[in-house]
Amino acid sequence: MSASGATTTVSSDAALDPEAEEARTGTPDPEVGADVSRRRWPRVLGALLTVALIATGGALYAEGRQLRDTPATANLALTDAEATTRVTGDVSSALSKVFSYGPGATAGTRAAAERVLAGKALQQYATLFGQVERQSADQKLTLTTEVVRAGVTRLTDDSAHLLVFLDQVYERRGRTPTTASAQLTVTAELRDGRWWIVEIGST
Amino acid sequence: MTPRTRHLGGWAVLLVAALVCGLGAWSYGQARGDRSLSHAKARDTALAEGKRHLATLNSLDGENAQRVDDGLRAWLDSSTGPLHDELARTRKADAKSLTTAGDTARGKVTSAALTALDERTGTAELIATVDVEVTPRSGASGTQRKRFGATLARTADGWKVKALTAIGTGGGR
Repeated sequence: MSASGATTTVSSDAALDPEAEEARTGTPDPEVGADVSRRRWPRVLGALLTVALIATGGALYAEGRQLRDTPATANLALTDAEATTRVTGDVSSALSKVFSYGPGATAGTRAAAERVLAGKALQQYATLFGQVERQSADQKLTLTTEVVRAGVTRLTDDSAHLLVFLDQVYERRGRTPTTASAQLTVTAELRDGRWWIVEIGST
Repeated sequence: MTPRTRHLGGWAVLLVAALVCGLGAWSYGQARGDRSLSHAKARDTALAEGKRHLATLNSLDGENAQRVDDGLRAWLDSSTGPLHDELARTRKADAKSLTTAGDTARGKVTSAALTALDERTGTAELIATVDVEVTPRSGASGTQRKRFGATLARTADGWKVKALTAIGTGGGR
């Protein structure tokens, strides 16, 4: 926005432009000056309004970002009800399968474990299960595991952390069954549309 | 630049500014009205406050009558509804027996998760494992591992424990 062009070449445009005229003469005619200030105030008002609008928009946007940008939103536990129910169900059924066995039926349990456990959890389980298989055969031991409560602490699109309460009933042939409670923290991952348990820890 | 284009340019700038403002307002409105966002925040708040209250409800300093009284007041502050009423009703008897016993308990929530959250009614279900370290007046201290199911309710003063159940073996259902 410059009137410098108008000061050197007097074009018809510049002649019509009050500002250009002001720049040329230096001392504006009072009447023209009044006209200029009358012409200028909407422009000042417009500039102020522009600044105010941009500032408000920016502030609102920043406020919205702040509202949205919390670790809370990254965690889908309970906010995505369907996914929460699904992972809870998958993990619960997996745990009751892999921690339930009877004498002579350990092969089935082992096979089931390979379909629901992966990574570190499968290694841990394999180590443990070797002993279990022997014990189960020797002592005619039956273990039944039931999930009594399960809650998702953290859930993203493809990983989940859960807290699971288990009840385990040990039955030895010819004796009264004993019940033990166990609490586990479970890490699960979604692979090929299915939740796999990748890590099991005690609380 | 002719006054006409300058005039138009001014309007264009103003229009852009109005658009910026509108977009900002829209984005803010979206964030404010985002149900899952407020749901996520309520979940995290309920979990944090529930854990704190559960630790309180599993702790009591039995050193002397004054400390027992403070502990019982903390229990009342952490509870609401039926649990609060129950604790208030048995407070006198509790104070007496706890002072006589003189045991000190310190609860620590080792793991916790919400299993349900209803923002509309302001209730939540929490499960947690709590390690309670009990130090008798005389003798060695021991740690008990307990698991709880708690119903939380939103009050004017934050989330509080409405009902508390120990989940023993057999499910405690």
